[in-house]
Amino acid sequence: MKLDKESIIELLNQKGVEVLDLYPNQISVNIKKDNLLNHLVFLRSIGFDHLSFINAVDFIDEGEFELVYHVWSYTHKIHVLNKVRISRNNPVIPTIVNLWEQAQFYEQEIHEFFGIIFEGNKDLSPLFLENWVDIPPLRKDFDTKEFSVRLFGAEIRR
Amino acid sequence: MEDLKANDKRSYIDNLIDFFRKRSIWMLHYCTGCGAVELPPSMTSRWDIERFGIVPMATPRQADVLLVTGYVSLKTLKRIIKIYEQMPEPKWVLAFGSCTVNGGIYWDSYNTITNLAEYIPVDITVSGCMPRPEAVIDALQTLMEMIQSGEGGAYKKYKENYEYYKKNQDRVLRKTAPILGSSETESIYQEKEGNYET
Repeated sequence: MKLDKESIIELLNQKGVEVLDLYPNQISVNIKKDNLLNHLVFLRSIGFDHLSFINAVDFIDEGEFELVYHVWSYTHKIHVLNKVRISRNNPVIPTIVNLWEQAQFYEQEIHEFFGIIFEGNKDLSPLFLENWVDIPPLRKDFDTKEFSVRLFGAEIRR
Repeated sequence: MEDLKANDKRSYIDNLIDFFRKRSIWMLHYCTGCGAVELPPSMTSRWDIERFGIVPMATPRQADVLLVTGYVSLKTLKRIIKIYEQMPEPKWVLAFGSCTVNGGIYWDSYNTITNLAEYIPVDITVSGCMPRPEAVIDALQTLMEMIQSGEGGAYKKYKENYEYYKKNQDRVLRKTAPILGSSETESIYQEKEGNYET
C-alpha cells in the first residue's frame, strides 16, 4: 500500500520523533542515539526497505558527530534522512548490520575515516588505508596539509 | 649507420644493441591516476606509437618502460615498487604530469606522495596536467635518443643508492609513528586493535 508523505510524517510524529519536511519526496528526521534501532526497525516495517548510504559529519565546534542514515522506499517513493548526533569524545553507536547487510561497508568506511566505533559490528578492519596509525583523516582536526608536508616533504610556495 | 660507430666510451656492439633496443620499447600496461586516458589515443590510429616499436605489455617481466601516469597514492606506490623491482634491466621510468613531480593538485593530500623521484629513479618527466599524446610521443622519442646515446641509466642509480630509496619507501609505507596523532586517538586505535581479534 502506497503511503503519501503527509501520512508518513503523521506516523512518525505519533512515534514522538522530530520531523522536518524538506522536498516533495524527502523528509528529515532527528532521532536520539538510544532510539535509533527502534526507529529504523519501525521505518523498515512500514515499507522503507532500502538503505542507500550512511554519512558522517564532523561538527567540531559543537563537539559532536552527526550520522545520517539515508533510507529509501520503493513503494512510497520517499527518501528519509535519519540524523543522529553522538558525542565526539565517546563516538560509539550500535551497528545496524543486522537490519541491512550493506551497512557493513559503510560502517567500516566511517570507522576508518572518522574513528566512530559501531558496537556489535564484528569486522571493522580498514578498507582503504594501509598501516594508518594517525588521527582518522576525515576528522576536522586532522591537518592534511601539515601531514603531507611532514610525511612526503611537500613544499609550500607562496 | 653513422651513429653506430665506436667512440671512446662505447663500442660498436654496445651501439648496435642499443640501436635495436630503442626500436622495440615495450611499455608496461599499468595505469595509475588520470593520465591513463591519454594512452589509448596514443596507442590507437590517430597518434599510433606502435610505429616506433612501442607496444603495451601485460607483465612487468617482459616490459622495458614503466609509465607512471599521474598521482600516486600510497597503495599504488607499493605496487609500483613491486613492479619496478620485477622488471628486468635495462628499464626506464616515465613520469607523467605535475602530480609525479610535486604532487600537483593533490599536493596536500594525506594519501598521495608528492615527488616520485624520491622512491624510484625517474628517467623522463613529461610536463602537463595531463600531457597530450604529442607530449607523450615527444618524451618517448627523447627516451629513444637517450637509449641510443647510453644516457638512460637511472636504473643503475637504483642499485647504487638502494639504501636511500628503501629508506624513503619504508618511511611512507610503514608509518610506524603517528605524525600528528595525539595520545587520545592512539588509545582509540588500541581498543580497535583489540576488537579485531574477535
